[in-house]
Amino acid sequence: MATETETPIRGMGHSVKRKEDARFIRGRGRYVDDIKLPGMLFLDIVRSPYAHATIKNIDASAALAQPGVLAVITGKDLDAAGLAWMPTLMGDKQMVLPVDRVVYQAQEVAAVVATDRYAAADGVALVNVEYEPLPPVTDPIKALEADAPLVRPDREQKTNHIWHWEAGDAARTDELFNQAEVVVKEDLYIPRIHVCSIETCGCVASFDAVEGKLTVYMTTQAPHAIRTVFSLVTSIPEHKIHIISPDIGGGFGGKVPVYPGYVIACVASIKTGHPVKWIEDRSENLQADSFARDYHITAELAAKRDGTMQALRVKTIADHGAFDAAANPSKFPAGLFSVITGSYELDAAHVEVDGVYTNKPSGGVAYRCSFRVTEAVHTIERMVDVLAQKLSMDPAELRLKNFIPPEKFPYKSPTGWEYDSGNYPAALRKAMEEIGYEQLRREQAEKRARGELMGIGLSTFTEIVGAGPSHTFDILGIKMFDSAEIRVHPTGSAIVRIGVQTQGQGHETTFAQIVAEELGLPVENITVEHGDTDTAPYGLGTYASRSTPTAGAATAVAARKIREKAKNIAAHLLEVSPDDLEWENYQFRVKGTPGKAVTMQQIAFAAYTNHPQGMEAGLEAVDYYDPPNLTFPFGAYVCVVDIDRGTGEVKIRRFLAIDDCGNIINPMIVDGQIHGGLTMGMAPALLEEITYDENGNIQQGNFMDYLLPTAMETPAWETDKTVTPSPHHPFGAKGVGESATVGAPPAIANAVVDALSHLGVTHIDIPITPWKVYKILEEHGVAES
Amino acid sequence: MHFAGEQTINAPIETVWAYFMDPNKVAQCAPGFKSMEILGPDHFKPTVGVGIGAVKATFTLDVTLKELRQPNHAEVTARGNAVGSAVDMTAKVDLTATSETVTTMQWAADVAISGTLASIGGRLIESTAKKLTGQFFDCTRQHLEAPSPA
Repeated sequence: MATETETPIRGMGHSVKRKEDARFIRGRGRYVDDIKLPGMLFLDIVRSPYAHATIKNIDASAALAQPGVLAVITGKDLDAAGLAWMPTLMGDKQMVLPVDRVVYQAQEVAAVVATDRYAAADGVALVNVEYEPLPPVTDPIKALEADAPLVRPDREQKTNHIWHWEAGDAARTDELFNQAEVVVKEDLYIPRIHVCSIETCGCVASFDAVEGKLTVYMTTQAPHAIRTVFSLVTSIPEHKIHIISPDIGGGFGGKVPVYPGYVIACVASIKTGHPVKWIEDRSENLQADSFARDYHITAELAAKRDGTMQALRVKTIADHGAFDAAANPSKFPAGLFSVITGSYELDAAHVEVDGVYTNKPSGGVAYRCSFRVTEAVHTIERMVDVLAQKLSMDPAELRLKNFIPPEKFPYKSPTGWEYDSGNYPAALRKAMEEIGYEQLRREQAEKRARGELMGIGLSTFTEIVGAGPSHTFDILGIKMFDSAEIRVHPTGSAIVRIGVQTQGQGHETTFAQIVAEELGLPVENITVEHGDTDTAPYGLGTYASRSTPTAGAATAVAARKIREKAKNIAAHLLEVSPDDLEWENYQFRVKGTPGKAVTMQQIAFAAYTNHPQGMEAGLEAVDYYDPPNLTFPFGAYVCVVDIDRGTGEVKIRRFLAIDDCGNIINPMIVDGQIHGGLTMGMAPALLEEITYDENGNIQQGNFMDYLLPTAMETPAWETDKTVTPSPHHPFGAKGVGESATVGAPPAIANAVVDALSHLGVTHIDIPITPWKVYKILEEHGVAES
Repeated sequence: MHFAGEQTINAPIETVWAYFMDPNKVAQCAPGFKSMEILGPDHFKPTVGVGIGAVKATFTLDVTLKELRQPNHAEVTARGNAVGSAVDMTAKVDLTATSETVTTMQWAADVAISGTLASIGGRLIESTAKKLTGQFFDCTRQHLEAPSPA
C-alpha cells in the first residue's frame, strides 16, 4: 500500500520555482546545437547579396573540389524533386532555394554540405553565383505604384498587392465621421523589427533510409503543425516523420514559420544518408528570418466635443516582404488587428488592411503578440492621446469617460469580437493611485514652467489571446484547439504531455501546477513533457499567448476527467455511493463525515491494484480543448519620462504596469513574463528598427546597428495586478506572455509626446531615438546646445 | 552612391591618358590590389581586397572600358562579387589640358554595394570610399609627376 505523502500540493497561485531552471542554470539545457549524432554532416548556406536579381549561373565546381565538401544543393536540384517551393502557413508559397531569381537580400541561394562546419563555410565562399541585378522595391507604398518592380512574377496576379481585408461597418463609420464634432487623424508607422531570440534557428535532420523515417530536431514553436506540413510537402507519411523540439532559447513568434534551411537540411540528409546539422549565425538570423510589424497606418477618431468617442476609421498598408509567410490563422490575413477599438465603447469602426509584397524577407510574424495586436493597441492608445490633446482633456479622464463599463461584459465590439470580461476603470484607477498621478501632473506643470521636459504616458490596452475557437480559427485548415494527456502512476505521481511547446514560458512548472491543483498531487511529483511529436498529443503550438487558454484548459479538463473516474474509485474504497462524496481540500471525503476520506495518491494506487470490478484499470485521460471564445487580458500602464534637452535622450524614470490576466497559476512566472515583455516593449519604442537602403540592403544587419536593450537600457519595472477571471476558461485564466510587449510601447510614446505636447507635437513614430527627439527640440528652439 | 571629384595633375594630357589606359599602371595605385587577369585592351579582371570597418572582402571585378575618346573621355563599368557581397559601378573620366604640362581630371562614379559589406559596413562606406580614392589619386599623381614616370 502506498504511503501518504506529506509534500504540499502547491497548485494554483503558488510561486513555485521553475522546474526547468535546475538544468538551465547549470548549463544543462539541451538545445538543437547541443545535439550531435554519429556521422553528422554540416550545412551552410550561400546567400544573395542582391535584394532583387536574376540568377544566370551557379558554378559549384570550386566548392566541390574543396576538401570536406560533399555536396552543393541548388534550386535546380530541389526543383527536380518538386521541392524548390514550399507552402507558407498563409496559403502563399515560398522559395526553398531559387531556380532563377532572388527576391530579397540574404535569401538562400545554394547550400553546401560538408564534413565539418568550417569546410562548409569555406565551401560557401567558393560557390560562384552569377547575378544580373534587377531594381528592387522595399517601400510597400511604392510597390503599389503601376511601374513598380514586380516582386512575384510567379503569381497570376501581376501586381505587388497580396490581399485586401476589412472589418467593421464602413457605412455606419462614415456616417458618424460625417456628423462628428471633432475628428483627429494621424499617420503612424509601426516599424519593422526582429524577434532576435538568443538562440538562432537551426535543426538536425536525420533520415533513416532503412526505416524510411525522417527525424528532425528543430527550433520550432509548433512541432505538430510542422510535421503535418512536412508530410504534405515531401509525401513522407506522417507517421514516418518525427519532429523533436528540444529546449528552445526564445521563440517570440519567430520560430513558428518553416524556414528554407530546415527543408534543405532534410533534403541534404536524404541525399547524403547522414544526419545533417544546420545552425544559423546571428547575422543570417537577423537578415533573413521573418520579421514583425511593418504596418503603415492612417487612423482617424471621431468624437463629440465633450470627449465621447464615437467611431474609428483605419487604413493600413502591411509590408509582408517577398512571401506571405506570416503564421496568422487562415481566416485572418491581418491577424486580430480588428481588436483595434481597444478598451473603449465606440458606436462603429471600420478597419482596412492591404498586404503588399516588397523585396524584403517575409514578414508579419507575431512577435510576442497575438497576431497584429501590438499594431492595433499602439494605434488606438496613441489616437486616444491625440484626441485628448485636441480637446485639451487629461488622457486619463478621457479614457475613464470612454471605457467599456464593467457591467457591459460580455461586450460585443464594433468589429465583432466578444470580450469575455474586464474592469478597465479599476485597473486605471489603481495605476493612477499607485504612481501618484495627480502629483506627477503638478510636478510636470512646475517643470514645464522652468523649461524642463517631463511627460506622463498612459496605455490602457485590451489584448485578444488564446486562438482559438475552431469555428473561426485554423492554420492551413487545422483547427486551433490544443491538447493534454495525463497519466497518473500507481504511486501517485504523474506525467503530463501537452500539445504546446515551451520556449521559456515555464510550462514544465505551470502545467504541473494545474494538475496539482485539479488532482491534489504534489507539484514536484508531476512531470511535464512537450515538443516530441511521437509522444505528445497533437496541438498547434505556443505563440499568441495561447498555451494557458488552450492547452492549459485542456490540462484542467483532462484532470477533471481523471477526477471523475477517481471519484468512483474513492466511492469503491470508502464503500459509499459517488453521490455521497465531495472534493474538498484535495481529497474525496464523505459528506458530513470529514474524517472518512481518501487522497488521490491512495486512489491512484487502487486504480492499478484494487479497482472496482467492471471498471477499466488505470488513471489517465486526454483532452482536446476547443475554446468557446478567446480571452481578453488587459492592463493599465503608466510611464514617466524625462527628456534631456541637450541630447534628446528619453529617460524612463518610472514605469508601472498593472496587468489583469485573470486567475494566476504562478505569480512569480507571471511577474517574469511581464518584466521580459516590458523590456521587449520598451525596445521598439526607443531603440529597434530595421530599415533598408535604396538597393535593398538591410541597414541593421548585426547587433552593432540593431540595438537590443541590455540591463543598462532597461529601467526598474514596477508591477501589480487586478484579477478579473475569464468566465469561460476552466480555471479563469487569460494568458499573459504578451500583454506587456503589446501594452508598453504606446505608454512610452504617449509619455514622450506628452512631454512635448505644449510645443504642438502630436505624434512621434517609434522608435523614439535621441536623434528624432533632438531634431524636434531644435525645430522648436528648445534644444540645449 | 554617387562620388565625384576633380584632380589637377602636373603632367601632359597624353601622358595622363596613356597612364590610365594601362591597367598595370593603374593597378599600382589601386588600394588592396592583389592580382589581375587581362582579357583584352579594354577588359580586365582584377582581384582586390576591401575592408570597411570590421568587414573584409575580396572582390573579383569584371572591368570594361567604354566610350574611349582619346585623350579626353573614358567610361568604366565594373561588377564584382565577394562572399555575401557584390559591387556594381559605372564611372566617367574627363581630361582637359589646362596647359601643356598640366591636366585637369574630372571624374564621377555611381557605385551600388550590396550584401554584407553594405549592411554591416553601411555607415562607413562613404568615408572609406573618400579615403581610398584620396590614396589612389595621391599615389597616381606621384607616379605621373615623377621626373621619369615608371
